[in-house]
Amino acid sequence: MSPTTQGLLVLVVTILLLFSGVPVAFGLGAISIAFLLFFQGLDAMRVVAETFFSGLNDFTLVSIPMFVMMGAAIGSSPAGKDLYEALDRWLYRLPGGLVISNLGACAIFAALTGSSPACCAAIGRMGIPEMRRRGYPDDVATGSICAGGTLGILIPPSVTFILYGIATETSIGRLFLAGVMPGLMLTGFFILWTLFIIWKRGFRSHAPDFRYTWKQKFMSIPKIAPFIAIIIGVMWVLYGGVATPSEAAGVGAALCALLAIVIYRMWTAGSWWMILRDTMRESVMILMIIAAAVLFGYMLTSLYLTQTLAQAIADMHLNKWALMAMINVFLLVCGFFIPPAAIILMTSPILMPIITAAGFDPVWFGVILTINMEVGLIHPPVGLNIYIVNSIAPDVPVTKVMWGTIPYVLCMFLAIIVLCIFPEIATWLPDKLMGAAHGVR
Amino acid sequence: MDTFIRGVRWISRVTGVVAALLIALAVIVICEMVFERYVLNHTTIWQIDVVTYSIIAATFVGSPYVLLHRGHVNVDILPLHLSPRPRYWLAMFTIVLSMAFCVVLFIVTSLYWHEAYTSNWKSDTVWRARLWIPLAAMPIGTGLLVLQYLAELLSVATGRAPPFGITAERRLA
Repeated sequence: MSPTTQGLLVLVVTILLLFSGVPVAFGLGAISIAFLLFFQGLDAMRVVAETFFSGLNDFTLVSIPMFVMMGAAIGSSPAGKDLYEALDRWLYRLPGGLVISNLGACAIFAALTGSSPACCAAIGRMGIPEMRRRGYPDDVATGSICAGGTLGILIPPSVTFILYGIATETSIGRLFLAGVMPGLMLTGFFILWTLFIIWKRGFRSHAPDFRYTWKQKFMSIPKIAPFIAIIIGVMWVLYGGVATPSEAAGVGAALCALLAIVIYRMWTAGSWWMILRDTMRESVMILMIIAAAVLFGYMLTSLYLTQTLAQAIADMHLNKWALMAMINVFLLVCGFFIPPAAIILMTSPILMPIITAAGFDPVWFGVILTINMEVGLIHPPVGLNIYIVNSIAPDVPVTKVMWGTIPYVLCMFLAIIVLCIFPEIATWLPDKLMGAAHGVR
Repeated sequence: MDTFIRGVRWISRVTGVVAALLIALAVIVICEMVFERYVLNHTTIWQIDVVTYSIIAATFVGSPYVLLHRGHVNVDILPLHLSPRPRYWLAMFTIVLSMAFCVVLFIVTSLYWHEAYTSNWKSDTVWRARLWIPLAAMPIGTGLLVLQYLAELLSVATGRAPPFGITAERRLA
């Protein structure tokens, strides 16, 4: 059987199996073992255990549970509520201030947790009822929070970037920095669109009749400031090259957990267990997929499928932007159905040689890929954030939430186009702060 | 049968606690390492190995707990749209397939562990850790995964649990 036929067979079986509802990690593992057995016989089984173990035997991977714990500690405390209140108290008198405080809170919370669903749930729980109370249309209130939540994986720290960095051996610090400006740009697009649509519909957002005193405004800061200080500290240590991502994230996780416990008086063993349990559940899920994806990657390479695909695409002599458009469509379609972690781990080792051969910057591509993944989070049929928002505002029909998210999907497409025209938006900050070297971890 | 299912679930919950504690241990050791390395300017020897192996162990040992709580992410768009009968058979298929994978993984990791133990493999780091200790987490975790899948198979087959954990209200179609 030729590598091309083998490749097609692997592709079809993988898609069919993933859609059967089997857990992604076990599905990928089962496919890898089945194909290795089929094409290479029992001898190939010798490497399975070793590949599984060595896939996880990497100190950089430790940063994943650490960043997840940072998010879990902040997410399980009422910090999201306080952040939202703080921004609202400062911005409530601005025209459209509520929109800015909602999406701004999403962006800052994204920097604190790095998780899209956590961001959506924490800010949406206050933001959606408040927007609806002040008369915002349901689709705008829910759609903007769905979209704001996706900033979690673009604004650093982001588990998506860590996975991409590990899978493609790209510097994680550089990827984090590359996400900052596109993240702010996307937040800006979201805010502009929301302000435009509420203005277009003839709705003027009025500030409530009461005013917050200066004391109330300043009192909202102390609870939030320490968390933001820790995140800035972690980022500074990371970019300054003082410590590795795992060390910075480990200390950050410990400090965030301690702060959450002290500030919000989470003294009970139950709340400690909640932080640890949430960390463990998410980390185990991601790390299991990583181990299986490493085995999957080994299977693809040992059957020469990765090389055949890269060669086939090189032989097509496509225009590099036509190639980029094709890759984007492919990633978008994957993102509609498959969780981001699985897509990144499965596709980036295959895409990386193609991307670099076409002359694209791997760090820039990491940002493009992440925005593609963001679309999948708010686009049906899977659209995780849609269901989270639906659980917060169950009386808003799911279809209305879905329609509400469509303009924000278009904002993301616009961001991808802008980034293709001006790649410096992503690459300028890492180049400025870390020097112009690429692809070194 | 109820006793078996309850027993397996209890074991999975216990291993979940162990995995969570291993992650907590990793956090503490990282803090200790950062303190030694950057404050006391000492060379660190064992910390990176302990942290990495704790996280690997947590991944395998915590996996049955995550399975128990349906935390291993899957693409559930097809199961959500199927009618109960095909969904039941699809669930049985995915459980049997995953279980088969875990059985294979249990066998190969057990053999690998045995080789590491009898040949006294050491890590190629400064600490020269005995590798059979972290490697033991793989057969333990995958063995428990097989048990948890068996419990799930029995639960779904006897109607004790809905296929894919999808209750009537959660169905979209």
